[in-house]
Amino acid sequence: MDKTVLECNGIAAGYVKDLNILQGVDLVVKEKEIVSIIGPNGAGKSTLLKAIMGLINISGGRFYINGIEKTNLATHKIVNEGIGYVPQVANVFPSLTIEENLEIGSWSLNKQQKENLNQIYEQFSLLKDRKKDKAGNLSGGQRQILALARALITKPTLLLLDEPSAGLSPVAINEVFSIINDINESGVSILLVEQNAKRALSFSDRGYVLDQGRNAYQGKGEDLLNDPRVIDLYLGKL
Amino acid sequence: MLDQLGNGLLLGIIISVASVALSLLYGVTRIVNFAHGEIIALGAIATLFFSSPIDYRILFLDKFSPLGLNFALSCILAVIVCGLFGGLLELILFRPLRKGNVGNIAVLVVTIGLSIFIRHLYLLFATGKVQNFPLELQRRQTYLFFDMTPRNLKVLIIGILVMILIGLLLTYTKLGKAMRAVRDSEELSSVSGINSDNIILITWISSSMLAGLAGVFQATINDVRWNMGFLILLLIFAGTVLGGIGTSFGAMVGGLIIGILVQVSVGLPFMEGHTEAKNAVALGIMIVILLFRPQGIFGQKERIS
Repeated sequence: MDKTVLECNGIAAGYVKDLNILQGVDLVVKEKEIVSIIGPNGAGKSTLLKAIMGLINISGGRFYINGIEKTNLATHKIVNEGIGYVPQVANVFPSLTIEENLEIGSWSLNKQQKENLNQIYEQFSLLKDRKKDKAGNLSGGQRQILALARALITKPTLLLLDEPSAGLSPVAINEVFSIINDINESGVSILLVEQNAKRALSFSDRGYVLDQGRNAYQGKGEDLLNDPRVIDLYLGKL
Repeated sequence: MLDQLGNGLLLGIIISVASVALSLLYGVTRIVNFAHGEIIALGAIATLFFSSPIDYRILFLDKFSPLGLNFALSCILAVIVCGLFGGLLELILFRPLRKGNVGNIAVLVVTIGLSIFIRHLYLLFATGKVQNFPLELQRRQTYLFFDMTPRNLKVLIIGILVMILIGLLLTYTKLGKAMRAVRDSEELSSVSGINSDNIILITWISSSMLAGLAGVFQATINDVRWNMGFLILLLIFAGTVLGGIGTSFGAMVGGLIIGILVQVSVGLPFMEGHTEAKNAVALGIMIVILLFRPQGIFGQKERIS
């Protein structure tokens, strides 16, 4: 549990030049860990994931994947570093079939494409049964499963998830979290951004609380859940 | 009315090829390209330049002599020139605009400006004269129940083959799937490992090559004019919208329908002596179809969640 998969040092980034949302965030994800990032709206949780994925420019600080610096690497190359990413919205290709979604997900693979596809179908029978269906016709929960599968097909070592429970029914949320748990147990580290802070923290090994683009608190998931400062600020009375 | 069907098919295939090109570009980049007509004209003007006899001195302010190349080779070269031109537009203009997050409406206005600019360059360099490709005249013949020249039949067949090829490319190849993926979401494509800049560049090149081919077709069937692309631009938009915006198959069928409607309407009894109003009938029918099928003939309604 000791090897560091992702290390962020003082990350500063934003959508517009000279207007940084993130103002120096530090974060570490170790092998096989589930780490969650919580915080109020506008704290920079999703922005941090986008910065790591190269979707927005990092103007200060650095990050390392398996000890090697990858700051501002082109987005399409990050996948090859073993990082999978599921965005919060637009997380599937609606006009493509489920099978095509998974094919696009495995774009960076050469030979094992078919083999990995079959493994995904074994893992998620729903996707196999409906592989010729357009992804746009799936329900929110099914889309989230497809989005997870699309990101998993390259066999990443770290999965970045941006609010996987957003807009889902309680039943679907349980299913999605159970899948995330299975993924983690298969050896994949998870970095999770969640609005549902209680759920995220009780599910995670460690958590980071961000506030206005900076680290506010960090610690074990359970400790943060019971930390009176965090409760006062973000969780409300338990 | 039926005697206009051959002409309708020919206009239809021109509009159809050009609509697919427009739809492909719009689908992947969300750019409504008003300069599309100028790329069409470039295909025709370049073919004229490559193929006209060396002593022919109408083009380019009388300063440059044409190359006098073989006609088929000229057409191929012209289509390649259009592809390169489209690629250049993406690299020096549209990519920087995209990276600067310039909005869709602003980009649309840029394409209108570009269209006017290029069109008047043509007027300067290629003159305002109506010109013809250096091809001998052919007599019309009857094929099934269509009347057309053997050369125009060739245009029709090549057009249909190109359409089938494009359809297969988009549906089954890795590149086609990547184009459709970038169309759905550029961001999600990138995080899946696709270099979306490359896909958009390839889209510009392919769309411009198709537009150039439409120009070659149009000039082969009719003639070369500096504003020839602009004159049919509205029909191309109509074909694209009618088929369902962003669906290439829809654009193929939509373009064909518009072309046929325009020509066939010439044969309507009340149109006698008013053939210049033929576009009105086709565009009117388009509006009626859209009232009943707002997403276009082949556009799909999608679940939004």
